[in-house]
Amino acid sequence: MEQLMKWLQFFTPVSSITWEEAHRLADQTPGRDVLFLDVRQPKEYTQGHLPGAKLIPLGDLESRLAELEKDKPIVIY
Amino acid sequence: MLAGKGFGKVYNLTGGIKAWEKQVAVGAEETGLHLFTREEGPGEAIIIGFGLEMGLRDFYLSMQSKVSLESTKLLFGKLADIEILHQQRLVELYKEMTGIGLTITEFAEKIAEPAMEGGLTTEEYLQLYRIDLNSELEVLGLALAIEAQALDLYLRASERSEISETRQVLLQIAEEERSHIARLGSYIDHHQELT
Repeated sequence: MEQLMKWLQFFTPVSSITWEEAHRLADQTPGRDVLFLDVRQPKEYTQGHLPGAKLIPLGDLESRLAELEKDKPIVIY
Repeated sequence: MLAGKGFGKVYNLTGGIKAWEKQVAVGAEETGLHLFTREEGPGEAIIIGFGLEMGLRDFYLSMQSKVSLESTKLLFGKLADIEILHQQRLVELYKEMTGIGLTITEFAEKIAEPAMEGGLTTEEYLQLYRIDLNSELEVLGLALAIEAQALDLYLRASERSEISETRQVLLQIAEEERSHIARLGSYIDHHQELT
């Protein structure tokens, strides 16, 4: 089962969108309830980030998945 | 990784943050959050917001007294006056949420304490954005940067609040900030066309 999950993760496609499309998505989502997820390092976040973005560095993502809502649109940069 | 873990609506942003052409916020995740406790009710959150608007107005007025060029003096005065409109909106929101109707003066004198909008101090802003005080465009850029900081702060505070009503109020205030940014952006564009 664990092996299957790993393959599933590898093959599940993620759509790519532009900033314009991301903002259209936010505008069209009730309450602008879209999470912008910053997966860079804290130093990069500190130097400049999208207002309201949540920081979870890529290396910590797997252990912090519980902080994310599964039904909410998530835009990763 | 997320898509394979049951997250159904995941999007990868083309170009990353470098492709973002609008104002960014700076500072660590915790910047400014000392102003919020996570446990305040919606009324208290509005009071904090009012204090931030007061602080920003004080900042613009102090900058106005520091500059010598008449046009930037006028501009800082205008930015300070706009903060009164923002304060008014928060007083209205406070009435909607608590049923208590107060004037801006009552609110300022009895309830709120000034803090700097966006959670950074005046000096930190000036250090961060070393602007040419004789350039109207740079002054407007500073105002835009401060509004982006404020938007970021309200969104982060909302995310951390443990009270659902407070989260909603902070999101509402964040929306106000978003509209301030849009208005300032239009003004800057207009200004650029004129010169």
